[in-house]
Amino acid sequence: MATSQAPTRQAITLKGSTNLVTEFFKYAANTILFQRGVYPSDDFHMVKKYGQTVLVTQDLALENYLDRILKQVNKWLLTGSVTQLVLAIISKDARLPLERWVFDVNLVEQPADSAEPIPAKPESEIQAEIRYILKQIVSTVTFLPIIDTPTVFNILAYTHDSADVPADEWVDTDPLAIEASKSQQVKLRSFSTDVHRIEALVAYRYEG
Amino acid sequence: MTSIPKTPSRYRSRSDAKTPLTPSIISAFNSISISPQKRSHPADLSNPFITKSRQASPVKRATGGGVIVSDSFHRQAGGGVIRKGGIETRLDVVSRDYLPPTSQPRPELKRSRSTPATRERTQSTGDNRDRFITTREADDVAATLELMSLNPKTVSPGHTARLAAATGVPLNRRVLAYHEAPPASSSDSTLSQQRELARPLYGRPGELPSSTSSTTNKSRRIPTQPERVLDAPGMVDDFYLNLVSWSIQNVVAVALAESTYVWRADTGIVSHLSEAPEGTYVSSVDFSNDGAYLGIGLGTGEVELWDVEAGQKLRTMGGHQGQIAVLSWNAHILSSGCGDGSIWHHDVRVPRHKVMELLGHTGEVCGLKWRADGELLASGGNDNVVNIWDGRLGDVTEGARGQAKWTKRNHTAAVKAIAWCPWQSSLLASGGGTNDATVHVWNSGTGARLHSLKTPSQVTSIIWSPHKKEILTTHGYPTNAIMVHAYPSLERIAEIRDAHDSRVLYTAVGPAGDVVCTGAGDENLKFWRIWEGVGAKKKKEGKERSSSTRSGILSIR
Repeated sequence: MATSQAPTRQAITLKGSTNLVTEFFKYAANTILFQRGVYPSDDFHMVKKYGQTVLVTQDLALENYLDRILKQVNKWLLTGSVTQLVLAIISKDARLPLERWVFDVNLVEQPADSAEPIPAKPESEIQAEIRYILKQIVSTVTFLPIIDTPTVFNILAYTHDSADVPADEWVDTDPLAIEASKSQQVKLRSFSTDVHRIEALVAYRYEG
Repeated sequence: MTSIPKTPSRYRSRSDAKTPLTPSIISAFNSISISPQKRSHPADLSNPFITKSRQASPVKRATGGGVIVSDSFHRQAGGGVIRKGGIETRLDVVSRDYLPPTSQPRPELKRSRSTPATRERTQSTGDNRDRFITTREADDVAATLELMSLNPKTVSPGHTARLAAATGVPLNRRVLAYHEAPPASSSDSTLSQQRELARPLYGRPGELPSSTSSTTNKSRRIPTQPERVLDAPGMVDDFYLNLVSWSIQNVVAVALAESTYVWRADTGIVSHLSEAPEGTYVSSVDFSNDGAYLGIGLGTGEVELWDVEAGQKLRTMGGHQGQIAVLSWNAHILSSGCGDGSIWHHDVRVPRHKVMELLGHTGEVCGLKWRADGELLASGGNDNVVNIWDGRLGDVTEGARGQAKWTKRNHTAAVKAIAWCPWQSSLLASGGGTNDATVHVWNSGTGARLHSLKTPSQVTSIIWSPHKKEILTTHGYPTNAIMVHAYPSLERIAEIRDAHDSRVLYTAVGPAGDVVCTGAGDENLKFWRIWEGVGAKKKKEGKERSSSTRSGILSIR
């Protein structure tokens, strides 16, 4: 949110948009971890954000872990080399992927030839869109299958082949996919800044 | 998939019913190309030839043709949802028939995955991609790519290239994960354990979401009504006691407060067998393996031995200091579990009846079962412990003490329900009380815990089916249920909710292995035909034949 209070209010720059998106991931991930019970509910505390209360972890280890991931995601967003972020929820014992929360990151193409700059999207509108997504994540609890086994999560980043990857920190991995025959998908809302467009989707294991 | 919106047909039908239809509007309806199923719509009943002749009306074009199909309308159409107002005002414009595609460039349709691609899309773009993949937004496909687990490294490059071309998926992507696993929750684990225990009974896993009715697997019909109900006035509602036993001679013994009755299942005759001494009550009954003798445990700690046929008391074996909550026979050894946590072996043949004492429980022993071959004895207590003892008597002197072969402390509540598997002798099932409500299945040879099953409420007894690979459990508040689980999958086969009005406390299975008798504090004794045992069924068929056809043959001779 560094540039959000910028005096010019002309347009959200790439850097500003990146920060906005990164911050959204932080709160989205926290919301998912809380709502899906990956961590016990008393690890979370309420924070006012986007004009509503969001539950954010107060477990230092987890907080640092997310920060380290998001720092790198932020770098990738700046270079435009990340295309998708996935938060996978896996059953702890069976290592079975149960849910995949997919966030597609698209770059909004700027019409190159347009003479006058497109009017910037108001900050409040972006916030409202983010709020809708977070609310939708909360409301998915109503249809997602109840998880009664202990779970862990994992964050995957889909990057371009050419992306800079810090050695030893990020490693190529299995996509933790759910078998197509046992998976159902629900598309969630999306939000966009002037630079990025984030589309959310949840896929979950459903053997009905 | 929940994201699929309602097909537009519903909206159309509604507007059909309301608005008086002019033929031109009908034609417009027919030619809307939103969904390919449009032909199935009742509006199509109108004669297509008539509508075609009317649709080229120039007046219509003049009024409606000027309206360009708006983006928002397309978005609605793409989402598969069309608002009623929109469709009524712009109906005629969407029609392909009098707005030829060549005359006016159509705005690019934006489609979500729920809308099948229409003809013009696949035709106009002359690409060779798979036309059966309806949505080709790059990210959608990417989302499904990993579902197909397309791995460019393992398959031949040519195939991968063709597959990539067909699906339109870029392959030069990397899936990365942070090298560290996310940290485990650092909050106090005992706290979460406590929270688990403090959960309300209705919040237990295995609880059906809303229904209070009984469930039965469709492939197996298990009657959810008892076959017979006997009145049992004065039956004590005490979890720790064991007041029902069913002998191999088809006699049911039931203790009602201080009296013990026997009910002969063959004849239905009830007889009063014994009366406990003044000031005490019967706390447990158990038939000997041959069904000739009945052991009766009393609240004072005495164990009585009765001859069932003669209705005579043979002897009283004293010595215990607490109530005898459970008895179990093995040939001439009658084992008794006492309120003080001790288990005694009584040799009923000799005057000095106490031949061994097993000390392994710190709470009342309320579950006790000999294995059929007499090699092992399993006991469960109010101290939440399951013990498995070697059945050999060893040093047969007074005060000889046994050591438990295995001690299991996995339960978190009193263990009353204990049963040995009749068809696989090493298996032992045990179930815990209210705070635990879990069934564990153990291998008595290795001491391993093989399976665990969370149930909705306290486990009051367990019975293995003699004929089928199934376990029956009975439960306390709130379900008061009888449940049948498959083994080893532990899937629920049947659940009979509210089998009794209060918790189902005492159970016994009949000698044929098909009927289960349950007793509860609601002073009823109910008989349930749970298993149409294979053996029993055959026997029955044989009997019927002998009574009908074979007797006929005999009479001919």
